[in-house]
Amino acid sequence: MAGRWMDLGALNARGLPGADALGVAIERMVTGIASSVESERGLAARLNYLTKTDAGYEAMDRAGIHVSPRTLMAWLAEERIPNKANRSRLDAAYWDLRRRNVAADLKKRLNNHGRGTRVEINPVDQTRVEGRHQRDLSSRSLNVRGVWDRAVDAWMNDDYDELDAVWDDIIEDLGSEYDAYSNVSSVGWAA
Amino acid sequence: MTEKLSVEALLEEARLNASIPPPAERLRLREAAKLSRAQVAETCDVGRSTVANWETGHSEPAPPARLPYLRLLKGLAEIYPPDPTPGPTADPAPHPVPAPASASVPAAFTGAPETLRGADGRAIEGDPGPCIRCGIETTYQSTDGRPLHSGAMCQPADPAAPQTTPPAPAAPAAAVPASVSPTPVPVPSRPERRARSAARAQADTTALIARAVQDEAERAGGDEDAALKALIKRAIPDVMHLFNETRATARYDYTAYPALPDVLKKPSKKDPDQIWEARPKFHHPGYSLKVPGDVKVTALDVNAAYLSALKCWLPIGKLEHSAGSDGIDPKRSGVHLITPGEWAHPHLPDPIGDRDEPGALWVTNATLRLLQRLSGPKYGLTDAPVIHESWTSGATENFLDALRKLLSAARDEAIENNDTLTLEYVKAMYSKFISTMGESIHNREMVRPDWMHIIHSQAYANLWGKAFKASTAGLDVVAMMGTDELHVTGDWRRVFPEGRGVAQMKVKHGEGKATGEYTVGTVGR
Repeated sequence: MAGRWMDLGALNARGLPGADALGVAIERMVTGIASSVESERGLAARLNYLTKTDAGYEAMDRAGIHVSPRTLMAWLAEERIPNKANRSRLDAAYWDLRRRNVAADLKKRLNNHGRGTRVEINPVDQTRVEGRHQRDLSSRSLNVRGVWDRAVDAWMNDDYDELDAVWDDIIEDLGSEYDAYSNVSSVGWAA
Repeated sequence: MTEKLSVEALLEEARLNASIPPPAERLRLREAAKLSRAQVAETCDVGRSTVANWETGHSEPAPPARLPYLRLLKGLAEIYPPDPTPGPTADPAPHPVPAPASASVPAAFTGAPETLRGADGRAIEGDPGPCIRCGIETTYQSTDGRPLHSGAMCQPADPAAPQTTPPAPAAPAAAVPASVSPTPVPVPSRPERRARSAARAQADTTALIARAVQDEAERAGGDEDAALKALIKRAIPDVMHLFNETRATARYDYTAYPALPDVLKKPSKKDPDQIWEARPKFHHPGYSLKVPGDVKVTALDVNAAYLSALKCWLPIGKLEHSAGSDGIDPKRSGVHLITPGEWAHPHLPDPIGDRDEPGALWVTNATLRLLQRLSGPKYGLTDAPVIHESWTSGATENFLDALRKLLSAARDEAIENNDTLTLEYVKAMYSKFISTMGESIHNREMVRPDWMHIIHSQAYANLWGKAFKASTAGLDVVAMMGTDELHVTGDWRRVFPEGRGVAQMKVKHGEGKATGEYTVGTVGR
């Protein structure tokens, strides 16, 4: 993380690190099965998705679902329902796989044929900061390109350091004040 | 440069300026002499980019730098005269009478640069750009690096160029003075001084709506249903484009992706957030459909209720928290946690809507303004609401007004022309604009659920105003429901104008008993 804003909140500013906001904003682009895993429909849809491809079985492995083929067949046939622990693992496995599968699409949308995406950056909330410590920060909007592949990969692999490095690259383009946007209140874009 | 310029110098400058080479030629001359722009710029005492502008035609040389530049160009033109060798296609030698193909290449262009070729004789491609001869984009280049169609086979864009040149051997010589490349279409050297007038801008934006309808109607080939379906499909991107157009000269920027307070966050995709929009569902306790009677009731419909509700106080920036009534300001808007006063008028709808449980609730600024108005000295209908906390931001009432006027004008015109297609298209645009401005995968241009709630409750507040107007005029409000439904007794035409305009009311026809004009009975009075 860049600069001097290491201890956010020391002066009562509220916000979150830019890398977190970036991850949240990428996360917002991901859509998938809306029904919860607790519902019959949501469970069936997740099982269906996870058993269609080899990648699905790998995702279940990663999520720690180690069941016999018979059990899996019984789940798919809706003869048995996974226990609560396995249901939450199935949910985790589903979203893990879903993220991997949409990553390529996200990169394409964000890169936008090399033109990049315009990102709105909203500064930290300073309403509780004492007047003499407040800085004059405005919402900034800048076109970001060239970093989206790295950003999406880092988000997918939960690589916080890399996401942080990407955020530093992004805010460098904001000019002399970039340091003040190491922490933000929110980030958003239309892609 | 302190000495006064002599008459001779001025005359020389005028003479040189009369025969100033076109921008492309200026570039060629400088590059032929292998001079850098910086060198030229220093000699003429101007900036490097100024020289670049002269060479691209963005601007023309102006005194005092003009004279040295013109002298330089004249000198360079003597050292590097325009290339007299004809292009490969214009070689007249094998053809005493030129073939039609080569005849169509005017001799004026025989001096044009040749195609850039590699060692193998094949043309080399580079960055695409408008061809210096015909203006159509090409990736092939001339030897001096400008875009040019391979073999210069293209037709020149300039129709004024000599089209028929006698195939006399003297032709290339005669063409030498004009042998420079054709100048590109002049681009205005300065941005337009005057901004578009408001009326002009509005006319341009209105034309976008008409063009969309026309395009889809043509594409559907007379199938109106298909055209309407296509129009509704593109309504969201189109209305966002219109919105951005109306914001083009706006004074301040809004926040499209603010950090949302928890009260505006949806706990899950299907569950609502905590904002109460005050949607009315009012039935007068003194009247009933079930009791036979002969009280005549008319079901009325507010035209384009959500379109009118676009005029409301919208917070521009990120919402900020304030405790108590600190956040209350005529110039601020947002959402507020309030405890409304008691409503003791059973014959009038409760402005807080159809609410069962008492206590504090989160309402929007539109509802709060209505409640505060009603508790004021003019109405005195209820106690002032107690405000506990607020999430607000600086607000304006005109934020969506340009868009509202635009859509409203298009709607009026469509009604006048009986144009169902445009009418439905406009309706889809404003309703989808409102319903997707919160969190929606169909519209990622903004995430402002607060605006959506405020506009909704503004529509309900407007409806309440109409109910109150009917009531003060002596009509009884039998029912008030949804966004736009108002059922009244008596002669409503002396209270509301009838029609389809946004300020008018029309009789609501539909399914069920309570539509159009119907009768109810009275209960217990």
